[in-house]
Amino acid sequence: MTYQYHRPGTIEEAFHLAAANPGARLIAGGTDLLVQMNHGRVETPALISLRGLPELGGIAVTDRVRIGATVPLADVGFHPVVAQRFPALAGAIAILGSRQIRNVATVGGNLCNASPAADTAPALLIYGASVELRGADSTREITLEEFLLGPGETALEPGEILTAILLELPREGTRSVFLRKGRVMMDLAITSVAALVEMNGIKWAKVRMAAGAVAPVPSRLRETERLIEGEESPLDAGTRERAIAAVRSEISPITDLRSTADYRLHLTGVLADRALQLLEGGG
Amino acid sequence: MNKLRVSFELNGFAVDTEVAPHLRLLDLVRDVLGETGTKESCGEGECGACTVLVDGRAVNSCLYPVGEADGRKVTTIEGLTGSNGELSSIQSAFLRRGGTQCGYCTPGIVMTTAALLTENPHPTETEIRLALTGNLCRCTGYVQIVESIQEAARRGWTP
Repeated sequence: MTYQYHRPGTIEEAFHLAAANPGARLIAGGTDLLVQMNHGRVETPALISLRGLPELGGIAVTDRVRIGATVPLADVGFHPVVAQRFPALAGAIAILGSRQIRNVATVGGNLCNASPAADTAPALLIYGASVELRGADSTREITLEEFLLGPGETALEPGEILTAILLELPREGTRSVFLRKGRVMMDLAITSVAALVEMNGIKWAKVRMAAGAVAPVPSRLRETERLIEGEESPLDAGTRERAIAAVRSEISPITDLRSTADYRLHLTGVLADRALQLLEGGG
Repeated sequence: MNKLRVSFELNGFAVDTEVAPHLRLLDLVRDVLGETGTKESCGEGECGACTVLVDGRAVNSCLYPVGEADGRKVTTIEGLTGSNGELSSIQSAFLRRGGTQCGYCTPGIVMTTAALLTENPHPTETEIRLALTGNLCRCTGYVQIVESIQEAARRGWTP
């Protein structure tokens, strides 16, 4: 099967091409789309490459951080501000796929693909990330939680393009961590947990937790967060046990070729416990 | 059929051609330009046999649309060899340390090594093994591959 390959140089041109080519697909890194196309699972008359669009490139740091949707994952993970202030995101990227994949795959693609196992999503959720969506004559910003609707489903309207991921800088001293378990390094997550804490003295003042690959979309663990907020460090055994139980009650894992639902339920509690220990240790 | 014009540098030589737009960089390099050192194995970005460098960075050429090569520098295994056919320090190290068995994964592993040593001239064993995450070898246990990369690092690698 053949298709046309368009490389617009401006976002206006991209909107125009999309409107003129019904059924065309947008492509960023293509590390998922091209696999599906190579296997004949996706057919399209045209691909519209987003890689040449300046609006979707680069990382800008002001009072917040704007990550262009088509910046390769490797460049996001190695960016000094991401590495220092968003270690859970840098950590998720460091173990996503392989070096070859990270050199071309993008955060925007990881989110638009909307896999329940997308590694960047739980990390971005704990930082309260938003996404910037542009249409031919409108721009809107919604939270990542509002963006992710289900497996392969996002809040993108027809004709809209995800242009950037927006992050508020966490307060100095905020700690965060990302943990993932897969069968082997290259494989998708069996489960993943991201966690963040802002301490006020010895008090867990603000807690954010999220899990991936254990629900239709990567999701915040709000009940668990509430349970820990206000507690004092070190967390006592009872609180940790209640937190692990809360994590397991908030997720709805399924059985698939990578894991049984039971194992995912167990493992997600284990990773959450480990994440809390790492945050407590200053990790 | 609609053709796509691409101009890029392959192993130091200018290439300017019109190709079917759905070709992958792998197809262009092997089937159109005849540089068959780059291999296809899984065709889905898992095995790394098709690894080439684009602007010095390792990518899977089986997942690289040919249109994206436009204006870039592509290096394949053939590009590591000197003009008189002498092998690079990485290739020599793989020969001396027996870092290859059936050889199908070797060009991809050598290209990943080139990217690794350019970025990190003295990697630890852990860093080497992590760098090889995207390169599968089903003959060996990776021990001699890791030793080959360590020897290449000792001898020094200049891109």
